[in-house]
Amino acid sequence: MERIERIPMEEQSGPRSREELEANKMPYEEFCRKLFDVGNEFSKPQALKGIRWLSCTMYIFTPHMVSNLAELGAEVIKIEFPRLADPMKHTSPFNEAYVYPLHDDRPLSGQGLGVINANVNKYFITLDYHRPEAIEVMYRLVKMSDGLTECYRPGTFDKWKISYRYLMEINPRFIYVWGGGFGYGPKVFGGSYDILGQAHAGLASITGFHEDFGGFPVKHTNWVIDWYSGTLGTAGILAALYWREKTGLGTMIEFSQVMCAARCIGYTWPLYGKWGIVRQRWGNWDTLLCVHGIICCGKSDYPDSKNPQLRDEARYVMISAFKDEDFKELCKIINRMDLYEKYQKHKDRVEATAQIEIYNALEEWARDKSRSEVTKILTEAGLLAMPVLNDKEIYESPHFRARGTIRWQADPSYGDILVHSTYSAGLLSKTPRRKYWDARPVGADNLRIYRELLGYPMSTIKEWYAKGII
Amino acid sequence: MAEEVRIKSRADTMKLTSYENRPWPVTPPPSREEVMKAYEKRRAAEFGKWCEDNLWFYDSWNKPEALRGVRVLEVGLWRLSHMFAGSILAEFGAEVIKIEPPEGDPLRYLAPFGRDEYMFEDVYTGEKVSPEFLHEMRNKYSVTLDLETEEGREIYKKLAATVDIIFEGYPPGYMDELGIGYRQLSQINPRLIYVWIGVLGQWGPWKDKVSKFGQWMLDPFGQVASGFVAKTGYPPDLLDRGKGGDPTRSGSWIADFTAGEQAAVNALAALYWRDYNGGNEGQFIEVTGSEALFEILDFDLSWYGFNESIKARTGSWDPCLNQYAWNPCKDGYMMIGGQTDRLWYRINMCIERDLPLFGRLICEDPKLKEVAARNALDMLIKTYTLTTMWLRTQNRVEVEEKLLEYDIAAGPLLFPDEVAEYPHFVYRPWVHVIEDEHYGHVMYAVPPNAYHMRTPARVKWIGRPLGKDTAEILLKYAGIDQWKLRELEERGIVKIYRPNFENK
Amino acid sequence: MCDIIWCKKCDTVNYLDPFNFWNWEGKIGCAGCGTVYYIHMINGYMYRGPEERPGETPDILPLYADQPNNGYEKFLPGIPGKTRPYNCLPREIYLGRADYRKFSIRGRPVRGWAPQPKSTGPAGSHPFIWQVEKHSPEVWQEFIEKKKKGEVKDW
Repeated sequence: MERIERIPMEEQSGPRSREELEANKMPYEEFCRKLFDVGNEFSKPQALKGIRWLSCTMYIFTPHMVSNLAELGAEVIKIEFPRLADPMKHTSPFNEAYVYPLHDDRPLSGQGLGVINANVNKYFITLDYHRPEAIEVMYRLVKMSDGLTECYRPGTFDKWKISYRYLMEINPRFIYVWGGGFGYGPKVFGGSYDILGQAHAGLASITGFHEDFGGFPVKHTNWVIDWYSGTLGTAGILAALYWREKTGLGTMIEFSQVMCAARCIGYTWPLYGKWGIVRQRWGNWDTLLCVHGIICCGKSDYPDSKNPQLRDEARYVMISAFKDEDFKELCKIINRMDLYEKYQKHKDRVEATAQIEIYNALEEWARDKSRSEVTKILTEAGLLAMPVLNDKEIYESPHFRARGTIRWQADPSYGDILVHSTYSAGLLSKTPRRKYWDARPVGADNLRIYRELLGYPMSTIKEWYAKGII
Repeated sequence: MAEEVRIKSRADTMKLTSYENRPWPVTPPPSREEVMKAYEKRRAAEFGKWCEDNLWFYDSWNKPEALRGVRVLEVGLWRLSHMFAGSILAEFGAEVIKIEPPEGDPLRYLAPFGRDEYMFEDVYTGEKVSPEFLHEMRNKYSVTLDLETEEGREIYKKLAATVDIIFEGYPPGYMDELGIGYRQLSQINPRLIYVWIGVLGQWGPWKDKVSKFGQWMLDPFGQVASGFVAKTGYPPDLLDRGKGGDPTRSGSWIADFTAGEQAAVNALAALYWRDYNGGNEGQFIEVTGSEALFEILDFDLSWYGFNESIKARTGSWDPCLNQYAWNPCKDGYMMIGGQTDRLWYRINMCIERDLPLFGRLICEDPKLKEVAARNALDMLIKTYTLTTMWLRTQNRVEVEEKLLEYDIAAGPLLFPDEVAEYPHFVYRPWVHVIEDEHYGHVMYAVPPNAYHMRTPARVKWIGRPLGKDTAEILLKYAGIDQWKLRELEERGIVKIYRPNFENK
Repeated sequence: MCDIIWCKKCDTVNYLDPFNFWNWEGKIGCAGCGTVYYIHMINGYMYRGPEERPGETPDILPLYADQPNNGYEKFLPGIPGKTRPYNCLPREIYLGRADYRKFSIRGRPVRGWAPQPKSTGPAGSHPFIWQVEKHSPEVWQEFIEKKKKGEVKDW
């Protein structure tokens, strides 16, 4: 007591004002809701305000590395090749979904939905690095920026004299990131994509059903590993930025995306290194926990729907009851107490043969049920279960709407777009992420950057544009 | 000289392939001189040498750490999400203290398939640890503390007063109820960056649940709730349902990894703002596995908003790019990618050389000449059928060599043993073996941020016996001396690690 | 998988899609003329066949087939009696070409159709506004009418 009294009032722990006292009494959920204040992101500061980054990027991996910075408040300039632009702009699922325009000169070409969400908040300019004029543009940009991310084959920027070897002389505070597949070493020039990372790093070999069950290695949907690797790259950039503020020194980062896929497969490496045991695929079950897997139910939740994803596929449910009491309750519900008797210890039921027996029994039980019936029965019994959700259900979820992690936004270039990125990457109470716009048409901000930032006169810009330099 | 080996159980076979009999790497990587020749092929010898000189992995321990002086608490059970977030910072040199209950994080004890022989053993005490936990316990200190006791919480508050970041992974509101959540700690330490990491959320209609017996929601719930599972796997049109043609979860706890890395990114941004961009105060951050994962599920929900398309699974093919898939070949699976016209025609040239039929059916088809139209489903079927006709006669390594000649992004689908021996990966390396004090030789995935010129991320130690650092950390940051420590131990509030050096 | 049956009778190429046919034995019907062929594939190789099996019914149809010598006449998935359907699609319909959309599913304008009128300034620059009422007045008009009819929603 004595000690506390000597501390000045405002430095004591505990509420310091009426608001704080109120906040302390609030139910926890309400406190969180109030603190994150979804929908009011724009009334708060931005963590990376004042940082300017150059994005000489294509596809998903490197663009996303930079868009994380842009969402957190950095100003990002994306440099594309004139006409061709980011190849990702030409990708669309089954060639079916495009927004327009890509560019005025190509009124029939759209920007494929494939590029969406990877280039948030960036200014889009065009530049042909091959032209002699380009080098001055790049040097000007480098002098007034904090860093750059590029994804060209190793040595390409070096040939153009814009690799870190040259740029560190111009701007010692500059942080230079190369993102690609392999990096220095014998396969240095090997190109890479998301899927190559998955295949090459062992991730694919442990995903999917085992051949003994008729399965093949499965690819994680579209470009998950590209995105995931990009974010890890962002972590590297932020660490380098933090170091730079201490020392004034920039750095060069060589970031391999294939390596990121090798990073996320956990015990695979220690197990192989120590005993030479090669981890195998284990389908929809878990190698560490049981019951903790996905089963197929006999009935669809939407038998009359026209959409095959609802009519045929809405049949899978995740069931988790690995602790002893949970497992016992589950066995009681499916009327298979013999399984509980047989596998009372977790250690026993997580063995491969036990898992096969248990999950088969669960699917047998679920044969005459829909996944929502299964979820209801188990949830009412106090167990954990959840249907394998599809896009419609996620869109309609009151949860994600309330949290603002899925929201509609009128894009300044493309109109009404449903947004599921940026806000969902995490809620920050004081410096929330925000999205202004998605990708912009090719060269949309040429004037903004060349005229206003770099000071080139209109006549030069028009001339360069006509010559295809920008 | 063959030795007779009797195999009675799985355990007997393990000795035969253990590290002592089969050290890594089995095949040494190419020499630096040989690799220089690879750089020279594209006239990048000087640049290649510059990269090796400045980014060389084995120089990592000779360079400073980016996050030196940043102190982090990592508190949570079962999941990899908060552990991965902690790992990322610890690899950059932050001082990461993992707080565990005296009985330890349950993840410590989960062996693959429950097999004891897959557990690592501490050389001093014989204490066992799961390889999953071990691998994510890199550069971290293990401190035990029972947060359910008043005294444990008081000590926790003292630690919290001295740290910059907390990564927390308990069920929603649990820490708040104990009086040691963000609400209370931010008053003790206003500069604290507090990150809660979960599966669905700590607030909102579907917030994280625990079962009535107290069991937590763990990944793959995050994969299930994000739509990832619904879109991953082969369609029943290509493989029968129940035999691989089902929605499929990742083999890894991928939602945990995604949430963990976003937690690290958000925390580092908050730290930058606090220290260098005028913030001067901490904040509360919340990241969930489901949301962090659908954040990166491409355009999928936007597509639903466009024309009510519900993204379907397409196996190892990609609905947006052609070619961009793996297909079976003679000795496994081969991945080939190249979407732009330039790459598309190079792939075609390469395959046509062996298989003229490919030229007739693929190269000449007018629909396949247009980049966007190539992604139509019928074109995928056609392209991959013919490509696999070429693949079935060849091994992965032959195909890779041929395609690399044409500068195509191509790679074999490798199994973990092959990854660990792949020359490029050994050369850099991407997996590496550390000689740990407690666990001996441990193979681990190298941090992808290890290739920074000035402040590379690195692994200094891996795995930690339960409570190894309790005494040191509590002494340094909570002022708890030996007498007090013994008292705490007697009352079960902490567990202290006592190595038996006779066993060394 | 990984093989084709080029039917000499009707000059149709039937594509035996990967994965499904990698290890497969049975009878498959030609999409062009319905001729039934027996095949036995092991690890992608045609171990036996294709052998004609006149009069027998096929176990399976190809997903896709075409006639390269006949202007690339296509048999898309799901033509009754010729190709088998591909069910696991995102919608009940399959287009394989751009689905032009003027409104999002909540009834607000989205720039999802071509051709688009020119709308950029010098050097490709693009303002931070889509002047839909100016460039595509008919869409704007339709939007106003939708609003009146209550077809414009928040979600």
